[in-house]
Amino acid sequence: MTKDQETELLDRFNLAVFLEAVRCLDENVSTAREIDIAMRAGAGLSEGPLGRADKVGLDKVLARLEELEARWGDRFHPPERLRALVASGRTGVAAGRGFLEY
Amino acid sequence: MYVFKAAVLGAGTMGAEIAQVISLSGLPVVLKDVDEGQLGRGMAHIREIYGRRVQRGRLTEHDAEDRLALVQPQLDYKGFSDVDLVIEAVPEKLALKQAVLGEVEAQVSMTALLATNTSALPVTEIGQSLARPQRLVGMHFFFPASVMKLVEVIAGERTDEEYIDSAIEFVESIRRVGVRVRECPGFLVNRILMAGLAEVLRAERDLSLEPREIDAVVAASKLAPMGPYALADALGLDIAQDVAQTLQAAYGERFDLGDRIANLIAQGKRGAKTGEGFYTYTG
Repeated sequence: MTKDQETELLDRFNLAVFLEAVRCLDENVSTAREIDIAMRAGAGLSEGPLGRADKVGLDKVLARLEELEARWGDRFHPPERLRALVASGRTGVAAGRGFLEY
Repeated sequence: MYVFKAAVLGAGTMGAEIAQVISLSGLPVVLKDVDEGQLGRGMAHIREIYGRRVQRGRLTEHDAEDRLALVQPQLDYKGFSDVDLVIEAVPEKLALKQAVLGEVEAQVSMTALLATNTSALPVTEIGQSLARPQRLVGMHFFFPASVMKLVEVIAGERTDEEYIDSAIEFVESIRRVGVRVRECPGFLVNRILMAGLAEVLRAERDLSLEPREIDAVVAASKLAPMGPYALADALGLDIAQDVAQTLQAAYGERFDLGDRIANLIAQGKRGAKTGEGFYTYTG
């Protein structure tokens, strides 16, 4: 597997998981903190999807989703909640706030 | 609400594992089944789990005996009037769960909490047979429950918040991690994880990759303890396919697994349990 393929594979996995987590948040299925706890304790992920996105930087996550949406279509459409966080400067760990607070 | 005595209905693997976890925390638990043979196999399974803990030095033989003695196997509802929590863990069939819960409701006090252990069935529908559905919560223990730390505590449409609070307290008291989930198809973890798996299967096809190399990359990235293909094999490909189909019907194409897994199932390859899935297993 080339380095580019590896990046695309992991991004697509991580972002598909992230987008579903945001949908659960939008539908009030659970809270950001509990979603991350559940994905670590129940699925064995090393990091919760929302905390992980906060660490990467939500502006970067948004930019990557826009690229993937252009290439693969609607299923990577960036959620409104993400756009709103980025627009309000809550871009994640570096900003002190994102989906979670730091 | 403090649980002084719990009961688990159904002594299959899941029910037995749940009873073991409860007894390990020091709480008395009734394990009830309608079938004497099944009850015996359930108790044997619990003994086996305790045996392994003793072998690994996690528990002394004496403590293991004490905890095991907290599990009371029985075929009837004797003593259910002072049970504070009932966890129904019978097979995943809606009508069966409804019938069993309707039956036990008449045996317990008005204040007892009722829980249904399900990974897929809607809690709201399971509760339809109850006189007081507001006290029914979903408790999704992950498999194997004796090892996995997470329990999704699911609120159906009619569940009272008060009972959710009690369920979370109980889950924490047996040293598990409880998260609150509002009912939706797939609940939380399976829904989110399956979205990732479906995307990996699409990436495999788009990029012409092999399952083995994908698993190696995911494992090396330390994102997850095992790659998605090894996980699907461990779970059972038929089960993964069932879950995905439910999710696809509820949420749409993003949960479409393509024909990759269906083709393996058609060849009788249902994962580790059949000796073959994406990988081949021996012994």
